[in-house]
Amino acid sequence: MKHDIGKLPEILDRHPKSQESLIAILQDIQKEYNYIPCEALTETATALSIPLSKVFAISTFYNAFSLTPRGETIIRVCTGTACHIRGAELIKDQIETALGIKAGETTPDGKFTIEVVACVGACAMAPVVINNEKYHGSVKVSGVKKLLKVKK
Amino acid sequence: MVNITINGKTAQAKEGEMLLSVIRRLKIDVPALCHHEAVEPLGACRLCMVEITKTEWDGWSKFVTSCLYPVEPDLIVSTHSDQVNEIRRTIMDLYLARHPNSPEIRKLAEEYGVLKTSYEVQVDGDNCILCGICTRICDAMGFHAISLVGRGHGKTVAPPLNEAPPDCTGCLSCALNCPTNFIEFSDQDDKRTIWNKEFEMLACVKCGATTITREFAEHLSKNRDIPFEYFETCDSCHRKETSLTMGRIAAWTKEAQS
Repeated sequence: MKHDIGKLPEILDRHPKSQESLIAILQDIQKEYNYIPCEALTETATALSIPLSKVFAISTFYNAFSLTPRGETIIRVCTGTACHIRGAELIKDQIETALGIKAGETTPDGKFTIEVVACVGACAMAPVVINNEKYHGSVKVSGVKKLLKVKK
Repeated sequence: MVNITINGKTAQAKEGEMLLSVIRRLKIDVPALCHHEAVEPLGACRLCMVEITKTEWDGWSKFVTSCLYPVEPDLIVSTHSDQVNEIRRTIMDLYLARHPNSPEIRKLAEEYGVLKTSYEVQVDGDNCILCGICTRICDAMGFHAISLVGRGHGKTVAPPLNEAPPDCTGCLSCALNCPTNFIEFSDQDDKRTIWNKEFEMLACVKCGATTITREFAEHLSKNRDIPFEYFETCDSCHRKETSLTMGRIAAWTKEAQS
């Protein structure tokens, strides 16, 4: 599959051509395309003179990077200790049923991706679901549908 | 020079030297799966754990991975104390649960009396212990063709993008140094396959036996200043060549003396 990586030269220009820029560049690519196309990995490796294997290792290590396209809306379900105790598992199940996909997957129309995260540092609001950048606290199973409609 | 005590015997070590290398020099059998002299230590397999103490520590001791611990003056090391053996048994136990089918792991565990794991066996587990010898050696060879990919329980050794690695030359350094012989490759006629990449093998111009891959020979001749033709003769023929040369030298010497 060919991907459009037209914005890549611009992203690469924003950073010094050194090894230290790698993560910053990957973050910018991730932000621009919502995932990191494999051509972008190869180009970045060449531009920074870092072995492709190292770039691949780093991009697969961090959860913030995804090598497969992700949805426009990313639903993050917190399953940290506090959220877990307050029923995060049920919330996760409900979201999975509502969207018809499993955690870690993206809906075929490319609208939603479900991610499971372990603690977002908002334990007082448990259970927490994050719709893109918006935090929703004390989520109830009955409130899941409404929460998914917030940004459609 | 630093003086240390290992299992009651005094030993001398170079400053900055790692404990494991001193232990190995004394021919004490301390197991290690992720250690390789050609690369920097990593401390991944945890098997080289030893107990260290000093007289001024008031009876306190601690457990350290000897491959990563630089020697200190007056260190007292036990490589096989009861507690160390217990730690090693626990590690073997975990390895057995994860890699139940690896003959190398089973043999090592058996030496420590662990015949069966006490944990749940991972049935679909492979034999890769993620020691990183393959990736570190590949880096040391200068190819950087493979790396540790992902993290946590999803971690694997893989070429970039899980495709045939463009930088691999088929030198087999990874496969031949793998402590559990996990990395598969095949040598058939004049073809070698590893990491899903096919290589052409060079054939000895004298006897026809295969030598190394064309890519590896090209890499060596370009970066190590060895003429490419050198790799078109196999090791046995090189040796035959050497004996002929030695014979000639002997004849000349004799001639010169007479």
